[in-house]
Amino acid sequence: MKYKITHQTIYTYNEPVSLCYNVLRLTPRHTYSQVCNSVVVKIHPEPDNTQEYEDFFGNKITYFSIEKEHAQLSVKVSSVIEKRVSAAREIGLYGNATIEKVKQQLQENKQEAADIGQYIFETTMTASNMEIAAYARQSFPPGRAVLEATIDLMRRIYTDFKFTPGFTTVSTPLEVVMREHKGVCQDFAHLAIACIRSIGLPARYVSGYIETVPPPGVEKLFGVDASHAWFSVYIPHLGWVDFDPTNNIMPGDQHITIGWGRDYADIAPMRGILLSSGTHTLSVSVDVSRIR
Amino acid sequence: MDQFADQAKLPGITGEEEKMPPHWETFFQSYSRLGNDEIATRNEDLTRLMRENGVTYNIYGDPSGLNRPWKLDMIPFLMSKEEWTSIEAGLQQRAQLLNAILEDIYGDRKLIRHGILPFELLYNHPGFLRQCCGIKLPGRHHLVMYSADLARSRDGRVWVVNDRTQAPSGSGYALENRTAMTRVVPELFEGLKVRHLAPYFNTLQQSLTALAPQQRGRLRQPSSPRIVILTPGSSNETYFEHAYLSSYLGFTLVQGNDLVVKDNFVWLKTMGGLERVDVILRRVDDNYCDPLELKADSQLGVPGLLQAVRSGHVTIANPIGSSILENPGLMPFLQSMARFFLSEDLLIPTIASWWCGQPKELKYVLNHLPSLVIKTIYRHPSGSSSIDGASLSAVQLQQLKARILANPALYVGQEKVDISTTPSLIDGHIEPRQVLFRSFLVSSGENYVAMEGGLCRTSSDQGNFVISNQSGGFSKDAWILSPEPHRNFNVLKEVAGYNAPDEDNLTSHAAENLFWVGRYTERVLGNARFLRTVMQFLAEGNKLATDSTQLTEKYLLEALTQNTFTYPGFTGPDSAEQLAQPWEELKDVLLNAKRTGSIKYNFLQFQRAIHEVRDHWSTDTWRVLRTMEEELAQDIPLSHHGHIRMLHTLDNLITFIIAFIGLNRESISREQGWRVLDTGRKIEQSLLLLTMLRTTLVNKTNDQVDYHLQQSVLMSHECLVNYRYKYRQPIDIRLVLDFMLFEPNNPRSLTHLINRLTVHLKHLPKDHAGHALTGYERLILEADTLLKLSDKDTLSTPGTEDTYTQLDEFLTRMYGLLAAIPDVISKTYFKHELTPRSFDVL
Repeated sequence: MKYKITHQTIYTYNEPVSLCYNVLRLTPRHTYSQVCNSVVVKIHPEPDNTQEYEDFFGNKITYFSIEKEHAQLSVKVSSVIEKRVSAAREIGLYGNATIEKVKQQLQENKQEAADIGQYIFETTMTASNMEIAAYARQSFPPGRAVLEATIDLMRRIYTDFKFTPGFTTVSTPLEVVMREHKGVCQDFAHLAIACIRSIGLPARYVSGYIETVPPPGVEKLFGVDASHAWFSVYIPHLGWVDFDPTNNIMPGDQHITIGWGRDYADIAPMRGILLSSGTHTLSVSVDVSRIR
Repeated sequence: MDQFADQAKLPGITGEEEKMPPHWETFFQSYSRLGNDEIATRNEDLTRLMRENGVTYNIYGDPSGLNRPWKLDMIPFLMSKEEWTSIEAGLQQRAQLLNAILEDIYGDRKLIRHGILPFELLYNHPGFLRQCCGIKLPGRHHLVMYSADLARSRDGRVWVVNDRTQAPSGSGYALENRTAMTRVVPELFEGLKVRHLAPYFNTLQQSLTALAPQQRGRLRQPSSPRIVILTPGSSNETYFEHAYLSSYLGFTLVQGNDLVVKDNFVWLKTMGGLERVDVILRRVDDNYCDPLELKADSQLGVPGLLQAVRSGHVTIANPIGSSILENPGLMPFLQSMARFFLSEDLLIPTIASWWCGQPKELKYVLNHLPSLVIKTIYRHPSGSSSIDGASLSAVQLQQLKARILANPALYVGQEKVDISTTPSLIDGHIEPRQVLFRSFLVSSGENYVAMEGGLCRTSSDQGNFVISNQSGGFSKDAWILSPEPHRNFNVLKEVAGYNAPDEDNLTSHAAENLFWVGRYTERVLGNARFLRTVMQFLAEGNKLATDSTQLTEKYLLEALTQNTFTYPGFTGPDSAEQLAQPWEELKDVLLNAKRTGSIKYNFLQFQRAIHEVRDHWSTDTWRVLRTMEEELAQDIPLSHHGHIRMLHTLDNLITFIIAFIGLNRESISREQGWRVLDTGRKIEQSLLLLTMLRTTLVNKTNDQVDYHLQQSVLMSHECLVNYRYKYRQPIDIRLVLDFMLFEPNNPRSLTHLINRLTVHLKHLPKDHAGHALTGYERLILEADTLLKLSDKDTLSTPGTEDTYTQLDEFLTRMYGLLAAIPDVISKTYFKHELTPRSFDVL
């Protein structure tokens, strides 16, 4: 399966901006299930300075600055992705590993733990509380297989929480999401991660896209997709296994990964600083289409 | 000697031994020769010197004011050559070790991969900045500066209590302590060969210079990299030191918004444009350095800085991310890390510590809580990160236990060191006090150079375990005694050492604040003189209350409100009561700090601007400032006696301001700085003069009132005597205008002010040569022309029966021209900080 992804972000400023600095995390990385064939980043106006590098997690970063006055900033990332493995992975026996077993294996294998360990600690965005921990325990009773427990947690979040665009922002604390049972994909991913970490298991945040399929007979419009987020759980011998609580599915060939980190802050698609006294409006359009 | 016989038994001098070491004996001989009275006097001198030099340690959130005076104990901390040699070697080893750890953490992370350091201590620590991984420094060491707090236990062994690796502070205070000691109590150095501090600072300077990135720009010579000290600003607790080191080392003192990243290089905003920065000595915490990649809401950093570092275009010392080493959790693993990296054992042992992330250690800590000090692996921004188990109640111990169990990897238990004491001068008596010794090291070539001295801090009361500047202890000078004969102490050599500030352009920040210092200087002075004139008139006028004196009073009081901008004051519909009983309002205009336009208010603005550029003032200037502060700090009752007191306060204030102005020329060593300041003064003087003439002379009343008002104008400008001397005629509006507007030899006349301004403005840096005038040059030319085309006879001819219409028009036009100049200057030279705003897109 091959996809062409077009992700365009346009800022329109009320007052001209003389300087802006940006960090983009929009170049999809290679994973076991996908190859990134090509990426083209088009920025207008032409940046005065562009640098590309890989961050600590191996995500691909584009840094750029615009040092002349401009009234609008447009960033268009076009990439071609090939998904290589079909949906279900060979889970096999490892999927039966219990919570205790996974913890023990991480204790014993220091090499493995050295990298995986950082995904066990809570971060500001995945801060747990009593309510969240209690919510997690219902899916993670002692002795249960981690895989089964996570599927259960994913299903419960999907059922208990209402997908409500606009209810939260980047800075809404997780406790509000928990209390109100509302949020968007980032919130659900953070909530699941907080739950799993409260049990003492490693989980990470994945940023990417999902292909939306219109109802039969309706033609798909361009640019109506959105960036998406989900989470991964680490199970020894299996590696990182993805879960999408917003759609209650284990991501397969309709999910395209950009990158990952401990939480949103590590893989925010676009972060910037601009020097301006005015405000700005923002429009984002994402399109994920199959290439035949 | 009798009174000191007991000292021999003081712990801290002798450890467990009975006999006083020879260097203490020598010291106390000099000390007793001074005698008790002299010691008390010298102690006062020391306190006064510290206060006058403005040596302060700011306390965040201290309601009694920002600046807490630095307290220096006259009795130093002595250390023999032998003792120092072993400590020095231990510290150098520790610096090498911490450097290796830092390089590894941001490089290969062998320590984690080989299981020498538990990963939790790294990944769980907010000081580990993943953004900084892979960044290399040009020099030999990643850790450029290192500082350690040392303590001696009662059995004589030396321990490292804290490691400071992020932005170690204190070296400037150590230097200031030494300078004060040599000045106030030189006799105490007799017979003791005390090591100098200067070599450390020379090395620091050389090492930072060597850190400049190799590829050079076209603008500067390779031999003179631009080094700046990045400070969080004047409210930071150690701001004094930032300014002090800036002057001493000759590095420009900057705040985050003085810098800008362009083309991936770091630039300093100066009056002459942008100048490239090569090395940043930072005093801003890691996370605050770059709002783009680190803490997004930081206003203290520079957006894009980390990328400039990553590209190798600028070097930051210590590198961003080095706070990871300020981590008590590393302590238990230091010995094995020393073996791993250096194949050596630690020369200075670490205090026995147990990291609770391991089951056995956790159990030990929980079982021994009351006898341990519990630390978190990083400092909570909220408060103390160190808890003495012995100080907790049973309930508190249970709570602490629960907190540790909830998150054991965050906690470390540490053995309590029974810190030894040293003799300290407390309220005129010598008493033992626990002491911490802070040492400073800087990378130099393959090794580290340690300051041969340091900063000592003592506990505020006997037996107090916690030592910090915040809790009010004393500081001490530390003397390392060297037997080498050529190291004889030389007062002059130690005190001298200030580098001449470089001839670079002023930073925009400094320019802006110096300009405002100039304006507020004159605003305070002008208003104080006018207020004094008004008060004097009231005090005298009350005795002969005729109609005309009452009318004059009314006009003067109204003019006072207009000149100070303290509306409604004596103007407006409800002013009858104020006019009848003016003293309360007058006092308010003098002393109400919260009232915009009051003298106290403007004085505080003046003071704030001065502190923003505190590296520009001489010691004498600080002394004057302190005296002014004290003068204005007192309250004055509303009584006849109070009236005299207020006048007295005004007299003093005026004297101090004039002293301050007199010191400016020699204090501000940089020509450009003085010009900017004086431009501010002359503009403010002109505007005040124009306002006063407009509010007092434009209306024509009767001869008696007009006379009084004209006289007040002359008095407020201290021109009455000169006027009489020049004209030898009674006061008359035509001559008053001549003297105040046109007389070039009167330094307070508008002609003189405009002449000075024209010269100053011509000398400001221009980015283009040639014929075209800048905006402010046009304005001053227009003002000058307007003045030259006017004359005293026209202006003093009444247009209507009760108004000098042409005078009014002249003053209004002139005010408009001159008042526009600051805006143009500001737009051209001062930084226009648009607040950096961060955004995140989902």
